[in-house]
Parts: sequence; structure tokens; C-alpha cells
Amino acid sequence: MPAEVKQEQSPSNQTSLAMMQEPQEVVEETVTIEEDPGTPTSHVSVVTSEDGTTRRTETKVTKVVKTITRRTFQPVILTESKPSTPVPPSTPTPSETKPVTKMVKTVTTRTVRQVPLGPDGLPVPEGSSPLGSYTDSIDRRYMKNGERFITPQATSTLTRSYNNYSDSYNDTPDTQFRHYTLHDGYGDMPDNYGSLSRGVNYRPYRPYMPTGGYRPENSYTLPIRKDDYGHVAQPQVPMGSSTVDLNRSQPERFQPEPYGLEDDRRSLGPEDEEPYDLEPDYSTANRRTLPGRTIREPLRNGPRVRGYEDPIEAELIDERHPYIHGMYPAPLAQPERGSMASLDRMGGRRSPSIDSIRKDPRWRDPDLPEVIAMLGHPIDPVKSNAAAYLQHLCYENDKIKKDVRQLKGIPVLVSLLDHPKAEVHRKACGALRNISYGKDHDNKVAIKSCDGIPALIRLLRKTNDMEVRELITGTLWNLSSYEPLKMVIINHGLQTMTNEVIIPHSGWEHEPNEDSKPRDAEWTTVFKNTSGCLRNVSSDGAEARRRLRECEGLVDALLHALQSAVGKKDMDNKSVENCVCIMRNLSYHVHKEVPGAEKFQDPSALQAPGSAGTQRKKKDDAGCFGGKKAKGRKNGEHDKNYDTLDLPKRTEPTKGFELLYQPEVVRLYLSLLTESQNYNTLEAAAGALQNLSAGQWTWSNYIRATVRKEKGLPILVELLRSDSDKVVRAVAIALRNLSIDRRNKDLIGSYAMRDLVSNLPSGQQRPAKNLEEDTVVAILNTIHEIITDSSENARSLITAQAIDKLVAINRTSQSARETKAASHVLQTVWSYKELRNALTKDGWNKTHFQPIAAGTPKGSKSCKPGYDDTTLPLMEKSQDGYSTIDQRDKDSKYKSSDISSDLQEREPLKNDTNRKHYIRSNRPTVSLVDACDVKPQPVDSWV
Amino acid sequence: MSFIPGQPVTAVVQRIEILKLRDGDNLILGFSIGGGIDQDPSQNPFSEDKADKGIYVTRVSEGGPAEVAGLRVGDKIMQVNGWDMTMVTHDQARKRLTKKKEDVVRLLISRKSLEEVVRQSMMQR
Repeated sequence: MPAEVKQEQSPSNQTSLAMMQEPQEVVEETVTIEEDPGTPTSHVSVVTSEDGTTRRTETKVTKVVKTITRRTFQPVILTESKPSTPVPPSTPTPSETKPVTKMVKTVTTRTVRQVPLGPDGLPVPEGSSPLGSYTDSIDRRYMKNGERFITPQATSTLTRSYNNYSDSYNDTPDTQFRHYTLHDGYGDMPDNYGSLSRGVNYRPYRPYMPTGGYRPENSYTLPIRKDDYGHVAQPQVPMGSSTVDLNRSQPERFQPEPYGLEDDRRSLGPEDEEPYDLEPDYSTANRRTLPGRTIREPLRNGPRVRGYEDPIEAELIDERHPYIHGMYPAPLAQPERGSMASLDRMGGRRSPSIDSIRKDPRWRDPDLPEVIAMLGHPIDPVKSNAAAYLQHLCYENDKIKKDVRQLKGIPVLVSLLDHPKAEVHRKACGALRNISYGKDHDNKVAIKSCDGIPALIRLLRKTNDMEVRELITGTLWNLSSYEPLKMVIINHGLQTMTNEVIIPHSGWEHEPNEDSKPRDAEWTTVFKNTSGCLRNVSSDGAEARRRLRECEGLVDALLHALQSAVGKKDMDNKSVENCVCIMRNLSYHVHKEVPGAEKFQDPSALQAPGSAGTQRKKKDDAGCFGGKKAKGRKNGEHDKNYDTLDLPKRTEPTKGFELLYQPEVVRLYLSLLTESQNYNTLEAAAGALQNLSAGQWTWSNYIRATVRKEKGLPILVELLRSDSDKVVRAVAIALRNLSIDRRNKDLIGSYAMRDLVSNLPSGQQRPAKNLEEDTVVAILNTIHEIITDSSENARSLITAQAIDKLVAINRTSQSARETKAASHVLQTVWSYKELRNALTKDGWNKTHFQPIAAGTPKGSKSCKPGYDDTTLPLMEKSQDGYSTIDQRDKDSKYKSSDISSDLQEREPLKNDTNRKHYIRSNRPTVSLVDACDVKPQPVDSWV
Repeated sequence: MSFIPGQPVTAVVQRIEILKLRDGDNLILGFSIGGGIDQDPSQNPFSEDKADKGIYVTRVSEGGPAEVAGLRVGDKIMQVNGWDMTMVTHDQARKRLTKKKEDVVRLLISRKSLEEVVRQSMMQR
């Protein structure tokens, strides 16, 4: 025995002890999405010139950017490291040797006495209601598997973008324009790019310029375009270049909004260095369609243009001819024409071949400095056209963005935001949105340093134009992906965004009056962008969270929006995802950060909660059946947390941040967990529960109990089977926090063990799901938490055939963290003497339960010293949990990072030293039906 | 006494009549009950079938009215004053037993020992 003890306290453990903090809220993950949501927005604007003579259509391409940054905080919550070793002591104590007197719980199918009441948390084999719900979920689940769970999303996304694309093509030649000018590619485009479409692309551009004679492109453009995108372009878009490097384990398809930063990364890239060689970034559409296109001809500087080398051109040109005449004469000076002309010229310059065909030597692109100079042109249309052109040039072209920045174009654009003419500030906004997108944070900083953020916010307050609002919020979303700007955005724009966008679009009203019906949220682009921006900024640490929580109406509105999403069963969209993520982030550390939180600190938590509860319980309740008084003490925790659960009386309706942690939100998150198909939403909802159930304050007690009462445990357990790694992980950690509640622990031990275990890799070959290391470690830690202090749960662990797997992980896993976590579990199991018999019978012996590389202090120098709070740079985290790199690489990478795993391994409640000395061998089994739904019920009453 | 759902149950029952003891405002029966459909039946040490959610007598105070009337620990209460007690929640059972207006409760209880006595006597025949 002594030997064992020693092992348990091997140095590595001890070090970890020191840091024993509880992971309670382990993950706060902020998924930040930066995106230019709107995707290509192209507009056709018809401008009537002052003199009223000319109409032109201007097209602008807005590029879509989506960046999502996801960050995981591993906040370690320390509950003062309570003196507990991960492993219960092996010193024999009387209680340990006590015979197990637990009754056998028989589950029968007898239904005679069935009560409608469901079991309290987990699926009970008997019982109709539980079954019902369980089945439901199974169905769903099934579907998930069948369809890979993704389909719905995928489809929706697809559709959306599809629509976008077609729209844009529809009304604007924009994109085409863009292609034509920017992307070299026509010449070498493979076939999917039909000549037809090309033609189309081209045409719009031309026509609009010179003369008013706008061509009816629509008629033919539309269909073709659609087709194109329909099968070809769209699907490829996402995955290919952009998402790949995002380590995000996003199984999902396209993901228009993958994770922010990453996306950034993609845009940054190649262009800078070898603009012509890499395809990644020119027009989204083209690029993807043309896998084979490699040859590009050198362009001239500035706008890049590809020559047209094919027949199509000729064709195009023919069509265009009539207009060309018109354009030639147009001098810059001529107001109307001027602005256009400049564009024209560029076009000309870009495509030399066309030029030659046209035989017009004067055709020239303005170069970048010229364009920027035009931003200051006295004539408004010139300004707006220049801005539009800049927007177009900047689309996914980091080089140009950089040039614009260096040429001091950004301050000029920002100053145009205050321009009274809608056309001007709209175009300026569009340009800024494109410039703000990308990995190059300098662009974002440049916008900020010329006070772009307040200017954007000002414009947001001023304008009612939906499109402008979309552009503004899109820009803000982009800006919000850069850590240092988050606070600036909060300072300038939080309340405005809330008042101007979030509240009105959420349908929430400050003072609902009788005649107005409660409104549903509208999932507009503006709302999506704004919520994305807030989602990003909400990850900026404690201060940011505080500001958001205290922002008037924000939490109320978000909650309302989510409730209406649940009501309408419309829970898979991006806006919902953003809202849930904000809620999750704001729920993080509520028990420490909310004003007045001290009042709610659970006093018993300060002094070993376990024991306090125990004594109390012993006093007032001897247990259900009189004969078994001893049993009562085992229920201490749950008794405290649940049976006497009475919510503080509310004198007035809760509002603001208090809503975050009211037990009512549990139902909302559970609905999302039940219904949503969006992995990010699922993860965030589970993360929210995880955050709320962490910590020792009154509210987290309520939350833990409420999750059980609302039958949330089966929902969570079922999600352990999700295909998504991060969902499994979030759920596992949530379960761990929930099991701070004693009764939850019992229930989870009885009903979740099998699912937890099935997620573990068996030996070296991983289960079908191939979960990442972090997830495996999270599951192991959850198991550890559940079996700690509960030999009953340890027993069900054994029954779930886990020992095989644990031993295998312990022996063979490539991952130090996994090994360690598994070893802790094994040691805990072995510490239950009453289980040893059974274990030996199965052929195990003590050596199996000892740490293999006893005390390899692998983690002493870790490359990342633990996540100490929320302020980790986004990118760092991304390498961590979400990378998709091969497991082995990862493992090796992790060898040195044990410390962080230690943090996670600690569990929350270890604090009671005495606690170790009794083992709840005869702890009553969990009642299938929780005793009380409303008020605590006596289990044994004198009459 | 296990039974098959849907089938009539035969049980050997005994009538017990308890005269409540008045103690100030309280009426005392002198025993405690456990169980009920809202309780975990597996914790019931007295039931044969661990899924039985019936109401059981868990404690009987010495010299109290219940003991005097012949109630014993482990008895299963089938009826109280004619009300079924096999499908009630714990609290319903308690309320049924503690009506302030009623000075007397008549219980129908079943007891393992009784069953055995009956069985034996039947076999002897």
C-alpha cells in the first residue's frame, strides 16, 4: 500500500497538484468569425448624373471574407487547489472495508406503477416518458449519422451562397467585372467556365461604362451563372484553399465562415509574394473552378489583367463595340464620364489583347496612386467610382491592400465615410470592408489609427440604408478579428451596435406594450455581421465580458433572439451560432466577474463542500428507508444542491446580465442541443452549460440541478456520440462540471459511462471517430471526476469494459497527456479495494493500474504555460485544440505541454481531505425518478 | 409479491386500524413510511421486488399507536381508508395518512410473513 501511495504522489503529480485548479470552465472558446458576410455583394447602381443625362451602372464587388477565429480559453479556474490528489488514497480506512451494501437496482419492464414522471436525468429503461424523449433523440441522432449530420447545414450554406452569387450576377455585372479586370484568368480557363459565361462576364463590364445603354444582361447571364455556381464553383470554394490550413476541425463543408483568423490567413498569402502563381485568391469563383489554371501571364502592375487569348474575346468585343465608341472620347475631366472613364481606361490597360483589338492606344488603367487621388476629387461620382474601383481591386488581393495602405489611401476612404452622399460613403465602406479583410492586420490597424472605427459607428447610427449597414457591420466584423482592436470596437461601438442592430433585429423590446405582439428575430445579414463582431469582441478577456454583460439590452436581446430561434425551430444559421457563442463567452467566469457575485458564493464550498453537505444531510434526513441511516450521508452533496433547492425570490424581473445564469437559460441551451444541427452551435451551447455549471456559487448549484430537472443529462450524453470532435469535447467537460452535483455524478456514472468509454480509443487503433487528443483527455478527465469518490461509478466503469481501453491507452498511447489522464483513472479505480476482487478476476493486477512511466515529468517545461485566462492570442489556441494535423505529430508536439493537461485533469471538488477516507460503498443508487420536481420531497416521513 | 403487469394481483392482506394519538395540534400515528412512485424503489430494503414503488412502513415507534395496532416495520401499505396506496407518490401517501379530520386510519397491509403463513397452510391442505 505504501508503495502505491507513493506512486500516486509521484513528482509529476505533485507539481500538478500545486496547480490544481479546476478546469471547470474549461473551454471558453470563442469562435470568432470574421467575415465579410455578405459575400460578394455587387450592386448595380444606376446613377443619374446631375445633368440627368447619363445613367450608368456601377458595379462593385464586395468580396466575401469570412474569418473565424476560434479561441479556446482554458481558463483555469482555481478553486484553491484543494489538497487532493487525483487519486484517492489507498490507506485502508474502516469505511473502505465496509461491505458494499448497496442494493441492487433492478430495472424491470414492469409498467404497472409507471409514473409519467421521467427519470430525473438519464434515460431510464423503464418509464415511458423517458423513453419517449430518448427515442426522439435517437432518431435525430440516427439522422445525423445517416446524413453525416452535415447535410442540412451544407445545404443551407450552399444555398445561401448560391443565392448570393446568382443575385450578384443578376443585378450586377460586378463580379464579372471583377473577374475580368482582376483575375487574369479567362484565357486559360478550363471548360467549366463556359465561354458563354465568360462572355457574360465580360459584357456587363463594358456596357455600363460609357454609355447609358445598359445591356439586358440579365436575361442571359442569370441562368448560366447559376449553373456554373450550382455545380461547380460553389462547392469547391470553401474547402480548397481557404479552409485547409485552418486547423479547425470543421468537418463541415464549405463553411463560408470558417474561422476568422484562418481565413485571414488564406487571403494573405501567396499574392504578396508571387501574385501570379498562386491561384488562391483572385475571384473566388473563378479560382475554384479552375483547378488547372496555372499559367498566368504577367500583368502590369497595379491592376492585373490577363490577356484574353481566345475567341471569346473577339466575340465580346464585337458586342461591345458600340459602346466603345462612346467611351473613347470621354476625358477624365468630364464629370459624368470622368469617373467612369478612369475605370475604363484601366480595363483597357488590363487587357492588352482587347486593346489591340480595339486599337485604341489611349486605353489605360489609372494606377493606384491615381485612383487614390481620385478619392479626393471634387466631383462626387468620381470619388465614389474611385472607391468602388478600389474595393474591387482590393478584393482578396493583399498586395493591393498593402499598397493602398502605403499610399495612404485608407485615411481618405475613412474620411469619405462622413460624406453626405450615400453613393460615396457606401462605396468607401465597401472598399474598407475589402481592405479590412485578411490576415494582414496592418490594414486593420491602419483603419483604426485614422479613427475609422468611430467613423464607421457614426455612419451606422446615421444611415438607414440596409446595404450600407451591411457593409459597415461587415467591416467591423473583419476588424474585430484582430485582438488589439476588440476593445476599441467595444469602446466606440458596443452600445451603438446593440441599439442599432442587435435589439431591433432580435425582436426584443424594452417595454413590451400590450398591443405589440412579441416579435421574432430577423436573421438579417446586418444582424449576422453584428453578432459576429460581438462574438469576436466577447472573447477579449474579463473586461470585454464585463462591458458586454453590462451593455444595456444586449443580453436580453440575444436571449430573446435565441428563444425565438428555438421557437421557430430555426437554429442552424450563422446568426444563432454567433448569439450562442456570445452567450457562452459571457457566461464564462460569471461566478467571479459579475457584480455582487461574492454574495452568492457557496459558503460550504469554502470549507470542503463534500463534508459540509454530508453532515447536514445526516442530520436532517436519515435516508429513504429507515433501516439504512448510514446511507443518508452519502447523499450530502446532492441534498445540498438539489433537494433544498429554492431559488432566491425575485422581486422584479431579471434583466441584463443576470439573465445569463438564471436557471431558465438551461432550457434554452438544452433546446439548442436537442435541435440544432450546427456543430458550432452545439458546441457553444454545451460550452455555455459548462461555463455556467462551473464554480461554486449558488447559481451554478441551481444550474447543475436544473440541467438534471430539465432532463438535460440524457441530451448531453447522447451528444457524446456526435461526429464532431469538439462537440464531444465540450459535452464531456460539461458533464464533468455537472457532476460536481452529487446526484448528477451518480446519474452520469450510471448512464453516461458507456458512451464516455466508447469514445476512448481502444489501444492504438482509434475508434471510428478518431477523436483528437484533447477530446480523449477531456473524456478521461471526466471519467476520472465521475469515479472519484464513487466506487459505484468506478464499478460501472469496469462493467463498461473500460479497463481494457484504459490500460491500452496507458501503455501504448502516443500522447503523454492521454497516458497521464488514463493513468489517473486507473489509479483511482485500483484504490477502491472492494473492486479489486472483481478486477483480479478479470485478469488484471496491480501493475496494470500503476502509472507506466511512473512519474515521467514530461510536462515540466511546457511550451505553453497553461491557459491562464482568456486573453490568449487566437492563433495560439488554434494550434492547440483544433489542428487537424496528424495525431502523431500532435502528440509529439504535446509531449512538452503536459502542464496544461494537468490543469485540466484537476477536478473541481477535491478539497476534502477526509473525504478520501470514506468510500461510498453503500451509497444508494440514484433514484430513477428524481424525488421532486417542485419542492423537495421527504423520502421517509413520520406520520 | 411480484406480479405480472396487467394481471390481477392476489395479495394476502391484513386490516389494521390505528387510532391516532393526539399531541397538541398534531395527530400521531407512530410510524414512518418510505417509498412511493416518485422514489427510488431500489433503495427500499423491505421490498422483494426492487422495482416495487409501493409505500412501506420503515419505522414504528415503540409503544406508539401503530405498534399497538400491530403494524410492523416492512409492512407494505396497500390501502388507507380505502384509498389505493400502491400507485401514489410519497407525499400523497403521507397526506392520506395524516388527515387532521380523521382520528382513525384503517390500513390494508401486506406482509411477507403473512403470505408465507398462507402459502404454507394452503400447501398443507
